[in-house]
Amino acid sequence: MSISNFFNSYIGMYIAQSICHALIAAIIVDRSIQAWKINNPLIKQRFRYIVIISPILSFPVYQTINSGRGSVYFRLEALFDINRWLSLELWGKFPLSLLFIIILFITTLISFLQEIIPILRHTIESKESTSEGETPDDNSIVSKALESLPVEKPDIFIIDDNDFILFSTTGKNTAIFLSTGLVKMLNIEQIQAALAHEIAHITRSRQPLILMLFLLRISMFFNPIVLVEFRKIVQEDEQICDNIAVTLTGKPYALIETLKKLYYTHEDIAPVQITKPSKIGAALEEYSHNMLIKNRIMQLEQGLAHEKDGGWFKFIVTFIVITIINYFIV
Amino acid sequence: MHRKFFSFFYFAITVVILIAVLKILNWLPMAIQKDAIRRYSSVEEVRLRLNIKNIYVPSYFPQNFTWPPSEILAQNKPFTAVVMEFKHRERGDIALIISQVAAGANFVPDKKIKILQVKEKVTYPLKGRNAVLEVGLCKNDEPCSRISWDEGKYRVTVVMKSPPFDLIKVADSMLR
Repeated sequence: MSISNFFNSYIGMYIAQSICHALIAAIIVDRSIQAWKINNPLIKQRFRYIVIISPILSFPVYQTINSGRGSVYFRLEALFDINRWLSLELWGKFPLSLLFIIILFITTLISFLQEIIPILRHTIESKESTSEGETPDDNSIVSKALESLPVEKPDIFIIDDNDFILFSTTGKNTAIFLSTGLVKMLNIEQIQAALAHEIAHITRSRQPLILMLFLLRISMFFNPIVLVEFRKIVQEDEQICDNIAVTLTGKPYALIETLKKLYYTHEDIAPVQITKPSKIGAALEEYSHNMLIKNRIMQLEQGLAHEKDGGWFKFIVTFIVITIINYFIV
Repeated sequence: MHRKFFSFFYFAITVVILIAVLKILNWLPMAIQKDAIRRYSSVEEVRLRLNIKNIYVPSYFPQNFTWPPSEILAQNKPFTAVVMEFKHRERGDIALIISQVAAGANFVPDKKIKILQVKEKVTYPLKGRNAVLEVGLCKNDEPCSRISWDEGKYRVTVVMKSPPFDLIKVADSMLR
């Protein structure tokens, strides 16, 4: 089967259109968030779910409504026909469809190496985890910090390490791991803020919607737009957990200080200032990481965003606009 | 209230701009690649613009169909395809479609004449070619028939809203 034939087949049309539909959804969702100045990460996340979920269903649903949607005549009148671009040949030799397939391949590779395999490994390790580290004694600063949190207490383990380590395991055996270096560095309020943030992660990981969303995201492993959007959702998840932590502790500045101490220790150097190419990659990563932490700190400083109406009307308007436009994108 | 209106207006403007950009992006490949699929006004124009030497046109044409074709679509990239539609003289609906598509290409001309129920499917000898003749019913139990065969590097298909007698005459007249 030639490449152009592949993109005329059902599966080929599904792949090409799901990427186009995700792109349109991502653009409209971003504009919608900006137009209505939506700051609450929980509402923002709800909007971004459209970008993850709609491309999975859009093509089969549209085809069921109108089976002639794939026909030549529909394509001629469509708002945008991806096959026109895919049948283009650069310098009369190199088909753009080949470039498209290369993009699909790279996205698939990134999805597996950076998301699917690490998450599966984390899940397996969480199940098999033999509690590495020691439980803190009742008089320790960690136990005192945990004591005043008004939630179900997870298992806490202290790892003997001077580096700053803080992470939680989800699944059946939920636990929070802290290093001795981290405990020495933070005061009681900051430890409490850090623990509250991790507890928020554990609580959210139990929600079936989050698990379902991840499974849906996996089904779009080839889609570069979904890959980017899912990362935005993960970043917003951090902000949501920050908000939950602030609600639990009532001390936003303790969490701000914790974030600054743990993650925001380096000088803010823009990657363009670095001349050695080998260091640019690392600098870019550090720069974007710092930007994310900066955003989280900024959001905490602004205080919790309370949208009066939960944004449902705006959500429905956005969803309808996306659905109508994508119908005419083949 | 004023802020709400401005937000909606801003969102609406964004959507309008997006639609305009999509329209331009859709037109661009047609401008770059002249032999992408598009409408043509005559068979001669297709021959001239796309340099397709053999376009199979019937010399016999039943009186109840209108000539010239009501619609002609053709392309040379990614593969050659020519589709001609003819309307019924009295009813005005599409009643005959002739398509010639590069052999092996996955190309669905259109579903404007869709045989919903195939009653008979036989191999029919058409001037030395092994054609496949299908006879059945379209929408509203209207008799429909289709014949297709390989002609050089093309697959030719003729589908008609009528019993097979006229269809075979049309197909036969396309070959020498």
